[in-house]
Amino acid sequence: MTAGDTALAWARARSAGPLPVPAGTPAPAGMIKLTGPGGSWLVPQVPEAADARVLAEMGLPGPLLEQPNDTARMLAAVLRCCWEDPLTPVWPGVSAGSGPVLAVFGAVTGPRDEAAHRRAAVAALRRLDQAGWVRWDEPAGTVRLGPRVALWGSGDLTTLRQLWRSIQPPERAHAIPALPQDPDAAEAADPDAAEARPGDPLEPAQ
Amino acid sequence: MADGQTVQPGLDDLAGEAAVLRVYRQAFAVLAREAEKMILTPQLLEVDEAIFAAFAASGSDGLTEEQVRNACRRFPEATVARRFEVLKAYGAVSKVFERPNERYYRAAFAPYVMLLFLRRIGGRGGQSELHELLSAEHRNVSASAATAEDGQASAGRLTQVFRLIANELSIMSLGADVAQLRENAQLLWGNEALIARAEDVHAVVLRRWPALDRECQWLRAGLAAYRDAIDAAAARLIERAGTTRALGLLPAQEWRAFARTAGTQRLGAVLDSFVFDAPAPWFDPQAMTEAAESGGQPDAARMPPPRPAGDDGAGRDDAAPADHDGTGTAAGRLLGESRSVAVADLLRAAPDWASARRVLAQMTAAHHDPALPYTLTWDEGLDVADPGGPGPAWLTRGQFRRNADGR
Repeated sequence: MTAGDTALAWARARSAGPLPVPAGTPAPAGMIKLTGPGGSWLVPQVPEAADARVLAEMGLPGPLLEQPNDTARMLAAVLRCCWEDPLTPVWPGVSAGSGPVLAVFGAVTGPRDEAAHRRAAVAALRRLDQAGWVRWDEPAGTVRLGPRVALWGSGDLTTLRQLWRSIQPPERAHAIPALPQDPDAAEAADPDAAEARPGDPLEPAQ
Repeated sequence: MADGQTVQPGLDDLAGEAAVLRVYRQAFAVLAREAEKMILTPQLLEVDEAIFAAFAASGSDGLTEEQVRNACRRFPEATVARRFEVLKAYGAVSKVFERPNERYYRAAFAPYVMLLFLRRIGGRGGQSELHELLSAEHRNVSASAATAEDGQASAGRLTQVFRLIANELSIMSLGADVAQLRENAQLLWGNEALIARAEDVHAVVLRRWPALDRECQWLRAGLAAYRDAIDAAAARLIERAGTTRALGLLPAQEWRAFARTAGTQRLGAVLDSFVFDAPAPWFDPQAMTEAAESGGQPDAARMPPPRPAGDDGAGRDDAAPADHDGTGTAAGRLLGESRSVAVADLLRAAPDWASARRVLAQMTAAHHDPALPYTLTWDEGLDVADPGGPGPAWLTRGQFRRNADGR
């Protein structure tokens, strides 16, 4: 791995976010390599004193995020569904059907008009998918955690574990009456569909 | 004699003041709508310009009032006549010979210069004039004949100019709406060059006349105030541009022309000072928790505040399902078949410190979970372990047991 390769990988990661790479690629300096069922990823890991949260500390605006609250709730829902055991590392997690994720999202956001709920969920999933927080396989209807989640530090993970415990698991979220009765949700009522489907094509939608 | 000497310069002064006042009145004639009133519409300025153009074309004979009206016939005659009277009243237009029944008039040049000046200030916000003023001041203070008084006067004038601009800008950036700020944005452009030139003047003055350090200090303060005001105003504009995505800081034509005409190098140079990351938002877990907590509570149905468990039986159904996070399973695994086990044994059995800590955390969680029938009790005493061992170095004796009644 030459200095040029490292610089190229950094430039790519800075412009396009987490990099999908073929297995066996060595990790350049300062980047962490993540291996999961969807392939390998290179994620730039900058020191905590230099990453995006410094912007918040200094009161500077970060990248503009539309509907920040709904998007954060959707990420929490995906986290609840895809992080099976909060004592284990958050990456790579498991794959979850979009039905349970939608149900958990509905439970977190509270009762809403069904169309509005679905629209908010799809928009939030697209935003998260584009930013590399979540990988959403739209045709197959499955959701996984994206490579960016590996950047959460141990302090963050403590908070996230509390969040994880505070959210109802998908099976209980289903019991909430304000459920969207879309086909995905109906499919997800089948417990098998809610399980991880290892055979799914997990294309990183970049 | 002594009186005469003091009066004489006074009279000279008076004559000089009268001359200044005359030119001043002439120059401001173009601003006066009627005598004692200032001009309000640009059309009146055009009338003035037409009158001066007629005089310029007339040659050395001068013009009669009728000829002026004829030359300016594209404007309403009443307007032309009123402007002519105003110019006459201010002395910008005067009789060729000062006698009764004189019909020919001549025009002074000062009002026209003033008109040109006004046009330029109107077009460019006075900044190019400021540039020229700075060049002139630089020339003045650099001239070999210049005295300390010249330097003091220069520094004083510049200090006033920059203080005035800075005050105007900072008042606008604090109070004015963004549209007004944007209209005055030309005050913000090219300010680096302005400040640099003013600093040149400052450097020359300070080098040549070190005694003027007090005036130079004021000038420095004025410049710093100007810079701060620019920063504040620009920050306000940029902040607004960031939220509305309106790049209205520059006119749209300038953006288009720049995008079309600039080469790759110039286009790339725009990003020179930027370090940009993949445009992905960062999700702070704290913010996620807040969002999730604020989500599921519609205003109609308020959730009751959390109550300590064991207060009453109500609310038990709402609690998280027993063993939702694996605490019960873990505690059962730790206890195995036995009813009670020593904490020290469990911790020593852990392969390393981290897993010993996890075991302790699981026991504590099981103890505190009211739904689980486990109790953790601590005894007196402290055991010191083999310092080279893998587990914890000190251990308090304690018992972890399953409650007999199952609660």
